[in-house]
Amino acid sequence: MTLFRSMAIRMALVYILLICGFGYVARVLYDVQIARHGELFEKAQHTYTTRIETHGTRGEIFDFGGSLLVGNIPTMDIVGDPANIFILNGKDKDKTETECRLIADFFEKYCENVSSDEVFRRLSRRTFTTTDANGEKVERDCHYAVIATGVKYETAKMLRDKVKELSFHGVSFTSSYRRNYPKDTMLSNILGLTNFSADKFVPVQGIERSLNAAMTATSGSMVYERARNGRPVTFTNSSSEPTLDGYDIYLTIREPLQAIVEEELDHMCERVKPHAAWAILVDPKTGDVLAAAQRPTFNPNDRATMTPESSANRLSELAIEPGSIMKPFVVSYALDRGFVTPNSIVDCEQGVWKYAGRLLHDTHNVGKVSVTEVIKQSSNIGTAKISVMMGAKNLDNALRSFGFGQKTGIQLKPETSGIFRPLEKWDSLSVSRFCIGQGIAVSPLQLARAYCMIANGGYKVDLRIVDRIERGDDIRVMPVVRETKSIFTNPTTKKMITDMMIGVTEAGGTCTEAAIEGFHVAGKTGTAQKVINGAYSNRYYASFVGFVPAEDPKFVLLVTCDDPTVGSRYGGSASGPTFKAIAERALKYMYVQPQMSREEWLAERSAAQKALHERKVREDALVQARREARDRQLKEQQAKESAKKTGTTVASRRTTSSPSKSTTIRR
Amino acid sequence: MNQFTKKTNPAEAEPGTEPQKTHWVAGLIVKMAMMMFVIFIAFCARVHLNDKTEQLAREKARILEEIREKRTEIQTLVAKRESLRSWDNINKKINQYNLALRAVNPSQVRYMKRFEGQVAAPSQYGGDTRVADTSAGAALTSGGIQ
Repeated sequence: MTLFRSMAIRMALVYILLICGFGYVARVLYDVQIARHGELFEKAQHTYTTRIETHGTRGEIFDFGGSLLVGNIPTMDIVGDPANIFILNGKDKDKTETECRLIADFFEKYCENVSSDEVFRRLSRRTFTTTDANGEKVERDCHYAVIATGVKYETAKMLRDKVKELSFHGVSFTSSYRRNYPKDTMLSNILGLTNFSADKFVPVQGIERSLNAAMTATSGSMVYERARNGRPVTFTNSSSEPTLDGYDIYLTIREPLQAIVEEELDHMCERVKPHAAWAILVDPKTGDVLAAAQRPTFNPNDRATMTPESSANRLSELAIEPGSIMKPFVVSYALDRGFVTPNSIVDCEQGVWKYAGRLLHDTHNVGKVSVTEVIKQSSNIGTAKISVMMGAKNLDNALRSFGFGQKTGIQLKPETSGIFRPLEKWDSLSVSRFCIGQGIAVSPLQLARAYCMIANGGYKVDLRIVDRIERGDDIRVMPVVRETKSIFTNPTTKKMITDMMIGVTEAGGTCTEAAIEGFHVAGKTGTAQKVINGAYSNRYYASFVGFVPAEDPKFVLLVTCDDPTVGSRYGGSASGPTFKAIAERALKYMYVQPQMSREEWLAERSAAQKALHERKVREDALVQARREARDRQLKEQQAKESAKKTGTTVASRRTTSSPSKSTTIRR
Repeated sequence: MNQFTKKTNPAEAEPGTEPQKTHWVAGLIVKMAMMMFVIFIAFCARVHLNDKTEQLAREKARILEEIREKRTEIQTLVAKRESLRSWDNINKKINQYNLALRAVNPSQVRYMKRFEGQVAAPSQYGGDTRVADTSAGAALTSGGIQ
């Protein structure tokens, strides 16, 4: 009984213990599964869940035909894990130090710009001090030490194999990419460049900057539960946000034309040694910029060549006084509105004219000539007189209708709108100076656009440098923005002004050097004094702008030389030959058939030469006749005066001397 | 009525017969064993499938890595090709090998009719048939395209 009782007590005790045990377990389970479920679940999830950010690639830049201008080149970044190196070497300081030295020497040998001492210093730093959330300083293990960045892919691949072979611990290779400019200096001022900072591309200038939003890739992410080896566990929950690459940009630039322009610009720089030079080739119908080059320039792959001078984008940012290349705008407006006809006679005052108290000079002394000759001989006085005849309001309308004082619409930032004062701020001289390109500042792009308007019959067209943007099947074509109404009210205006401009490249014009065999070239020279510190200097912008073939232009080409130091400083001599060289090659590239045969062209040239000669002979004869008449008049006058004088002398002598002397004098 | 209730129904079961009781227990064990076997098979199949999936995932990761490597190599080659294609480089080669090359004379060129019946110079291909996205221009310059 006693035994049975004690058994019962023991059993009861065991039951109680078991119940207590189960109770405890239940309590813990309640705590873990219900009370602290959220906190613990989060903790666990944090341990085995990985979130990785995926980065797309930045959009690339191509020319119209798909030739790569700016691309991405794969590189690798090499990083070390100092804390891990220490652990993997059994926390042996000497062993770790030896390994760090070996790694540092190894990478110095194979990578550019890597210093062994610097890498050793970084790898030896096993811990770093940081401030935690409570503001207290704590020491943490250092798991990240940069050994080399932007290592070429092929080199990095070789290094990776060698690292594996040499069993270096704690060295890892991460893929990245850098911006690559395979065409080096070509179009570099327009394309711009990016810097790479904190795993991001920071656009600095050019298209890289103005179209940064479209080219930037959208980062994605992937959240997954990982296995012990770090790989995602496939049968568990995972989520991902897609990564989107940036849009690829296709420019309106044609690489072969760009190469032609760049090459000829280099030749011009060798010939006239200017401070700077630029050229721009535009399709007048669509406003497409086909080529745009400038000197000095820089190589974006070699930042050492980059200076403020060489990296400036003069085409869109520089505003200069254009000089005589403004004349066709004023004259075309005057022709269009009926102020003058091509044969109207303008007195160019033989090269000096005073207006509003200030003298205006011509380079060549010109007398009374037709409006056609005013353009052909680039008479400042003739143009100023036409402008004065039109009045300030009409001149303002004329220049504004050609887009001066406004941006060209090109997808380049920043872009200047030039300096063109509003009408109410004009002074008495403005009307005689703006028309010859003084007192007004315009950008090369504005000039090119304005000449496009003359070439296309007066239709205002926005310049385009981006043709389309593409991302996979998502293709967006940039529209051609062209006004449907011409600024010319008279349909013959275009022909009239074009004929005048053709005269510029013909015998007697200011730029016969720009004439191209087989084609009519319509153009205009410009030689503008540079304004330095608010005053006109002895330095010049020598420009030539024109379009070919004159009757149905395939392109408008502007060539400007900033301060030519060798040879002539005039637009015709400095920029004209380069215009010809570029235009000839561009016409060939575009397969434009000549308008006439060589014989016809030569005959036309010699006829123009003959006409000029005849006119000169006629003018010379006229001048000679005038001179003779003037001389005759002068002689007669002198004779009269001397006769008068003699008369008085004779009279006085008569009273004093013999009659024989007076007879002699009379004879 | 299932087999179990049928067998345990006192009305139908013959009282005091031991062999029938043994038969009932054995049947239950066999059925339990079969169920366990099915569960075991299902478990093994699941483990095998998981293993297979893991294996495939590893294979996929390896292939993706290979594709990535190949893409990287292609990108490197494209960059190299483009720099070799640059006019500067071609010009250098022309001078280096003294090649008698010159630009084609326009009179040597004849235009060909394309299938759509359009006539265009090669430099103008692509310019005629496309439709402009009028919204793209504004969005592009204002940075709205993403």
